[in-house]
Amino acid sequence: MDTLGIFLQIIFWGLYAGCIYILLATGLNLIFGVMKIVNFAHGEFLMIGAYITATVFFLTGINPYLIILLSMLALIGIGAVIERFCFRPILGTGKLNEIFLSIGLIYIFQNGAAMIWGDSWQSVKSPYDGITVPVGSLSVPLDYILIMLFTAVILCGLYLFLKKTTIGMQMRATSQNRKGAMLVGINVERIDIISFGLGCALAAAGGTLWVVSGQVFNPYMGSIPAVKAFAIIILGGLGSIPGAIIGGLLMGLAENGAAVLLGGIWKDAISFVILIVALVVRPTGLFGEKGE
Amino acid sequence: MYFNRDELAKYGMIATLAIAVVIPFLTDSMFILNLLVLMLIFIIFASSWNLLAYSGQGSLGHAAFFGIGAYASTLIAAQSGITPFVTIFIGAAVAAFIGILIGLTCVRLKEWFLAMVTFGFAIIVQTLTVSVLAPVTGGWDGLSSPRLLSPSIPGYQLIEYYAILVITIASIAAIWYIMKSRIGLAFLAIRENELEARAAGLDPVRYRLLAFAFSAYIAGVAGALEIHHIGYLTPELYGVDNSFWPITYVILGGLGTLAGPVVGTVVLTVIWEGLKATGLTFGRYVIVGVILILAIIFLPRGLVSLPEQVQEWLKRRRRKEPLPEPVGD
Repeated sequence: MDTLGIFLQIIFWGLYAGCIYILLATGLNLIFGVMKIVNFAHGEFLMIGAYITATVFFLTGINPYLIILLSMLALIGIGAVIERFCFRPILGTGKLNEIFLSIGLIYIFQNGAAMIWGDSWQSVKSPYDGITVPVGSLSVPLDYILIMLFTAVILCGLYLFLKKTTIGMQMRATSQNRKGAMLVGINVERIDIISFGLGCALAAAGGTLWVVSGQVFNPYMGSIPAVKAFAIIILGGLGSIPGAIIGGLLMGLAENGAAVLLGGIWKDAISFVILIVALVVRPTGLFGEKGE
Repeated sequence: MYFNRDELAKYGMIATLAIAVVIPFLTDSMFILNLLVLMLIFIIFASSWNLLAYSGQGSLGHAAFFGIGAYASTLIAAQSGITPFVTIFIGAAVAAFIGILIGLTCVRLKEWFLAMVTFGFAIIVQTLTVSVLAPVTGGWDGLSSPRLLSPSIPGYQLIEYYAILVITIASIAAIWYIMKSRIGLAFLAIRENELEARAAGLDPVRYRLLAFAFSAYIAGVAGALEIHHIGYLTPELYGVDNSFWPITYVILGGLGTLAGPVVGTVVLTVIWEGLKATGLTFGRYVIVGVILILAIIFLPRGLVSLPEQVQEWLKRRRRKEPLPEPVGD
C-alpha cells in the first residue's frame, strides 16, 4: 500500500478507536464534573456493557447495534447502585480513598465477570461484517462508519440533554457550584446518582460498540482503555467535554500511528509517554484551567 | 477493657517477632514456609508503598520498582557471579535511581495525576523490557535468576527464611527511623499543608524525591528478594496485580502506620490462602475487593485502629450515646 493509503488507514483506525475513548472519557468527565471524583474502575462498565451485548446477541440474535439501548439502561442501574453504596459514603474523605475504592471495584467486577462468563477471549461477528465502503483509495468497513455515527448521535443526545432538560441544567449547576446548587433547591444527591449512571451508560455504549466492531474482549479488557480515557481527560482538561472529544481523537490517532510506526507492543505505552510528557510540560493539562 | 495504645503496640510487636522466629519450628511443611517467605517479602513491599503514601503520594505503579530491583539484581548477579545477598542491595539502588527520575516528573503532580503517571510508568517499563531491552531481559520469556542459597545446602529453606526475616525487620526498622526522623516530620508537614511547610523552610521537591528514592529502594529490595527466592523472573512482575496488592494490604492494615502493612499483609494472606482451600478462583478476588471497599468505608484507618474503635464503641455504649458519623482521612 502507498504511503497515503497507510496514512489514511491510520486515521480511520484512530478515529474509530478514538470513538470508544471519547465515550469513556466523556462519561468520566461527566462524573468528575458533578461529583469531583475519578473512578478508575470506569473501564469495568465498558466491559460489562460488552458482555451484556454479547450475551443478549448470543441468546436472541437481534442486531447488536440495537442492544446498545439495553446495555446503556442496564448500566444506568448498576452505576446508580455503585454510586449509592460505594462512592457516596466516602465522598469528601480524600481523593486517595476514591482511587483505592476503585481498585476494590476493579477486583470485584473483573473477577465477578470471569466467574459468570469465563476469562477467555471472545468475539462477536457483526451482521455487516465484510461490507466495506470505498473512501478514496481505501475501503473502510461499514462497521467503523456506523460506530462513528453512533458516537456522534450519542454525544449530540448528551449535549441536548445537558442544555435543554431540567435535569441537565441541574447537573450543570451542580458541577459549577455544588453549594450554590443546594441553596437553590437542587437535590444534589439525586443529581450525583443520575450523572454517575449516565457516565456508566456512556461507557456501556462504548462496550457495545467495541463488541460490534468484532474486537475481542475478556473480563480484563476494561482497565487499559479506562486509564487511557483518564489520560485523555487529563490532557483535555478535567471536566471539559470538548477537551475529552479532541483528546480522545488525538489519543486514537497517536496510538494507531505508534502501532504502525513503532510496532504493536507500543500501542498501550505510547499514551502514557504522551501523558507524562504533557504533564511535565503543563501540569494542569493542555486545555485545563487548574485541575484542583 | 482498657488498653494503652503504646503498650498494645509494644506487646504486639514483641509477640509478632516471637511468632515470626518460632513459627518455622511449628511446621515441617515446605509449602507453609514458602508462603511465610513470600508474606515477609510482601510485608517489605507493602511497607515501601506505605512510606510513599505517608509522604502524601499514592503510587499505582509500585510494581515498576519491584520489577526493576528484581531485574537489576538478577542481571548483576548473573553477570558478575556475586552472591545475591549483595546484588539485592545494588539492584535496589538502581530502582531508587529510577525512582528519583520518575519522582522528578511527578513532583508537581498530586493525587490522580500522580496515580496516573505512576500507573503509566509501570506499563512503559514493561513495554521497554519486552521490546527494546529484550536481548538483555529475555523478553516475555524472562530469565532464570540465581537462587539466594543453593538448594544443595541442607535446610536451606530455613536459613533463607531467617535471612529474609532479618531483612524484613531491618527494612521496617529503617522505615520507622525515617518516619520518626526530621525527614519523616517533613513528609507529614508537606502532606498536610504544602504551603505552610514551604513557609517553615521545607523544600517540598527535595522531600518528595527523597520519599520516592527511599520507597523505590525498599520496593527494589523486596522485588529482588522475591526473584532470588523463586529462581526466575518474567515481565509479569510489572503487572497491575503487583501494583495493587501492596495498596490492598496497606489500606486494610492501616494507611500511614508502621504496623499497618504488616497486619494487612498477614491478615489478607491468611484469608487468601484460606479461600484457596475452598476452591474459589475468581471468587477470591471478588471477596478481597469487597473486603477492601468495606474497609475503606467502615474502617478508614485500617485494622490497626480496630482496638481503639472497639474501645470507643464500648465507651459510647456504656454512656448510651449514639455513634458519631464516621469521619475519614
